[in-house]
Amino acid sequence: MENLIELLQFPFMQRAIAGGILLGLLGGLLGCFVTLRQLSFFSHAVGHAALVGIALGVLLQLPLNSMLLPFTLVFGLVVLYLIDQTDLWSDNVLSIVLSGALAIGVILTSFIQGYRGNLMGVLFGDILAVNGADLILTALLLLGSSIFLLLTLDQQILLTLNQAIAKVQGVSVQLHRYLFVILLSLAVAVSIKAVGILLVNAFLVIPASTAKLISQRFTKFLWLSLILGVLSSITGMLVSGIFDFASGPSIVLVQFTLFLTFLGFSKLNRKNSEILNKQ
Amino acid sequence: MNSDPPDAAIAPNSRSKEITPVLKVENLTVYQGTYAAVEDVSFELPVGTNTAIVGPNGAGKSTLVQAILGLLPFEGAVQILGCPLSRLGNLRYQIGYIPQNFVFDRGFPLSVSELVGLGWVDHKLSNSAQLPVFPHWRITLPWKTNPRKAPAIAQAMEQVDIYHLRNRAIGNLSGGQLKRVLLAHCLVMPRRLLVLDEALAGVDLQGEADFYTLLNQLKREHGWTVLQVSHDLDMVSHHCDRVLCLNRRLVCQGQPEEALSPQNLLNAYGPSFSRYQHHH
Repeated sequence: MENLIELLQFPFMQRAIAGGILLGLLGGLLGCFVTLRQLSFFSHAVGHAALVGIALGVLLQLPLNSMLLPFTLVFGLVVLYLIDQTDLWSDNVLSIVLSGALAIGVILTSFIQGYRGNLMGVLFGDILAVNGADLILTALLLLGSSIFLLLTLDQQILLTLNQAIAKVQGVSVQLHRYLFVILLSLAVAVSIKAVGILLVNAFLVIPASTAKLISQRFTKFLWLSLILGVLSSITGMLVSGIFDFASGPSIVLVQFTLFLTFLGFSKLNRKNSEILNKQ
Repeated sequence: MNSDPPDAAIAPNSRSKEITPVLKVENLTVYQGTYAAVEDVSFELPVGTNTAIVGPNGAGKSTLVQAILGLLPFEGAVQILGCPLSRLGNLRYQIGYIPQNFVFDRGFPLSVSELVGLGWVDHKLSNSAQLPVFPHWRITLPWKTNPRKAPAIAQAMEQVDIYHLRNRAIGNLSGGQLKRVLLAHCLVMPRRLLVLDEALAGVDLQGEADFYTLLNQLKREHGWTVLQVSHDLDMVSHHCDRVLCLNRRLVCQGQPEEALSPQNLLNAYGPSFSRYQHHH
């Protein structure tokens, strides 16, 4: 315990916790719409395709964010455009584009000479390496996402529920879809440094899916998703500090444990309701 | 609840109280690729009428309705409340729509009262054909709810008898209950045109009859003009006052007794058609 308190006094640990909280909030907020709009595989594909951006950045010797952010943004928009332009199911298009992007990424990495530690770090992430600029970037994205989604919340819910009714009521469905994908792609990009390509999707999917299990109202769902996002980040960091586990996977493990707990709770609750109804 | 006069649709760009049809469709054609799914259809909906579009499968009924609502591209002209479709602006909020397939994730975390509330727009916005500075954004501060919204939601739910379901998740509703919730979604603010695209598909006969009775009652109280797609000719002849027979082109239109004559039905549905009648 003393070690943990000592650890919390280090600036890198404080930055990591602040980063975890910001990412938890960002993932919890965007995740509500990612899960309901069935975009889980979309964010997964954007995360994995980011390998191309990272490899390009390393090859061109550019700072990570200067290549990663524009790449994921363009990739996200292009994929959404392709989904809209073909008659194929979106998961088909995503699989095709993801495979192509991964192939390009792997080939590009083979051109990287010498030490590839940076690249591996980005694949698996390291929240302890989050710096001040990353925190500011994440905070700005969280602010932008909050303003956009919360000020147009009714329209977001309506277009998520039924696009035809939303269109008839004057909601610019396409504009909102593309704006959301921009936010989602940027969120994936800023999360990669902390949790890595392989686990980035967990922040966007698990807290919101957990909240969805026990929510009957949207307001409760939204709040619960935000709370679970933050709670799992803080708990995961503490678990990582106490047991000396890797930070990103520790957070995801906490998210996963919470999901299983809530799943069990919701099943039990449903069973009790059925018994009461029979009586 | 609806403070506007129910018996007149006033042209928004005109100062004179000239009565215009709620909906005017002129030479409307909808192409699906090179195939004309709906061809050269023209009709008007006078204020306060309940009009049904009938026709065989593939006749283009839903396509026509979707084009009228701006959900599909079309050739021709559509005017709603005297305004061309492309320049409706906030008058869009005066259209209520219940789609054919209201398919959603049964785990969608949304309560009945929340869904009804999604149909609410500040009345000040809804009576103007002018586009706001930021069209379609309808920015609302989450912590600053309009004091008129909650009473409007409660009143709409009471009118369609679903107030007791207000806290229930929409995924736990029966088909009939869901249709009533969607009706309350339309009722939560004053509308002039209500469009139902086979809204009662999947609802049992009793539920359907109850829904039509409620719809006609609300139509009278709120001055709605109703346009609906239906397959149930018996229900249409009992509850609607005008019928459009469609088979890609408009085969006939008029009051149910004349539009649904055996000859017209033969023309619209073809020689293999036989009419089944049921009693409510």
